[in-house]
Amino acid sequence: MIQFFRVQKTFGREMEALRDVSLDIRKGEFVFLTGPSGAGKTTLLRLIFRDLLPTAGQILVAGRNVVRLPGREVPALRRMLGVIFQDCRLLMDRTVAENLHVVARALGTAEEEARRKIGYLLRQVGLLHRANQSPSSLSGGEQQRVAIARALMNDPLILLADEPTGNLDAELATDVIRLLRELNARGMTILLATHNAALVSDQAKRTVVLKAGRVVADNGA
Amino acid sequence: MRLPRLGALLGDTLVNLRRGGWGGLAAVGAIGVCSLILGCLWLLTVNLQAILSDWRAQFEVVVFLRDDITAEQRERLRRWLHAEAAVADVQYTSKEEALALFKREVRGQASLLEGLGENPLPASFQLRIREGHQTGTALRAFATALERLEGVEEVLYGREWVDQVGRLVSVLQVAGWAVGTILGGAAIFIVANTIRLAVYARAEEIEVLRLVGATRGYIRAPFILEGFFQGLLGGGVALLLLFAGYRFVVWRLGLAPPGLLGLGGGRFLEPLQVAGLLLTGAVLGGAGSLLSVRRFLKA
Ligand SMILES: Nc1ncnc2c1ncn2[C@@H]1O[C@H](COP(=O)(O)OP(=O)(O)OP(=O)(O)O)[C@@H](O)[C@H]1O
Ligand SMILES: [Mg+2]
Repeated sequence: MIQFFRVQKTFGREMEALRDVSLDIRKGEFVFLTGPSGAGKTTLLRLIFRDLLPTAGQILVAGRNVVRLPGREVPALRRMLGVIFQDCRLLMDRTVAENLHVVARALGTAEEEARRKIGYLLRQVGLLHRANQSPSSLSGGEQQRVAIARALMNDPLILLADEPTGNLDAELATDVIRLLRELNARGMTILLATHNAALVSDQAKRTVVLKAGRVVADNGA
Repeated sequence: MRLPRLGALLGDTLVNLRRGGWGGLAAVGAIGVCSLILGCLWLLTVNLQAILSDWRAQFEVVVFLRDDITAEQRERLRRWLHAEAAVADVQYTSKEEALALFKREVRGQASLLEGLGENPLPASFQLRIREGHQTGTALRAFATALERLEGVEEVLYGREWVDQVGRLVSVLQVAGWAVGTILGGAAIFIVANTIRLAVYARAEEIEVLRLVGATRGYIRAPFILEGFFQGLLGGGVALLLLFAGYRFVVWRLGLAPPGLLGLGGGRFLEPLQVAGLLLTGAVLGGAGSLLSVRRFLKA
């Protein structure tokens, strides 16, 4: 589903964020991407959704060569991906439902279908009763669940999560991970970056460890 | 584009315009001022050109004849004039006709005629000159040749005046382009700046849209439309002010002695030119926002 072939990413002249990374993530896998701060986790994720281009190497996502992808096909690539961040990036001047609706509109989803989907996803993340409130009135864990629901609005094949539990205490973090595992159980490929070792050790999942831009361990390759 | 999509787009644009607040007003104002000044120059040019072409159509050279001209000399002169390429038409006015005409013109002011002993008015030929031969040099040469002919007293033509108006029109046109370029650039800059602020104000939303795979067009369209509407609005305001100013000037000139600049009738911009002025505003606004969006919205 996601393949890295000898990928290298250098910022400026010196900053080698990724050095010779090769990786193969198969459909339906749940992969933890760990490593110390500055190891290159975020950089790796950004390469996948074409927020960055690699300095060298090739990247295939769902069969498409992301590196060679013409600019006008980038939206189509991103429609196959759901992306969530540590800071949920919710729009605080809209309601929870409106935050999802923005996506529906951007994707040209018909109004009826959009409403049905928003209801379905909010129920799935357990926040239907909060649909008409502002995200600012929600807890950190609830906000992250809204962000997940939003990332699911385009029915992604792959979910990319960058420190989704970074702002959450252990209990809420476990909630979010449980939600992601449910999604994974239904077939979604998930790549989750975190430097929270405790979070990873709880899960018997494939773990890729990055250090200074290199893959130093991968228990599933 | 499907209709609901269009509706949503317009909705977005309106929201942006409203959020723009004072910045948006500055953009509308800048385009308004720019369009207004351009409109003034344009209106002036249009009117002067109208006067000029009226004047050219009835452009006359008057050849006054000596009182002692013989009938034979006069006929030779007439033939010469008819043969001349520059002359479109020749009219003869005898001394008697000239006096009758004069009497008619000054009717009601009989005292003017009292001092008139015998008829002091000369006979004359009125020549209409073809368009291509109305330049200053051509006329001067023509007049000099005429004055050497037998029986000719004096040749009159109002070339200076026409040339000056013509020069004024070209100066106005050059000024229009210069002022237009400078003000247009400034207006584009101001619009670009408001749109930049609008883009920043919606940075978070734009980021979300980018991530979920919204197309570039979808993300950019509301901003470009916003600039376009600001421009259209600015152009519209300018047009209203221009029209009001025009009516005022026509009214003032109506009170002034008739014939001053010959503007009594006056003319406003044609519908197509009105549309052109509005479009200028809209294009300036659109260009400003496009510039900003290209600069501040990454792909
Ligand atoms: N845009 C950039 N310009 C220059 N250097 C960058 C840029 N983005 C990241 N880096 C550098 O690349 C290296 C990897 O950064 P990255 O954000 O991928 O690390 P990370 O593993 O996500 O760290 P963290 O756990 O703190 O989020 C870091 O040293 C970072 O300073
Ligand atoms: Mg990171």
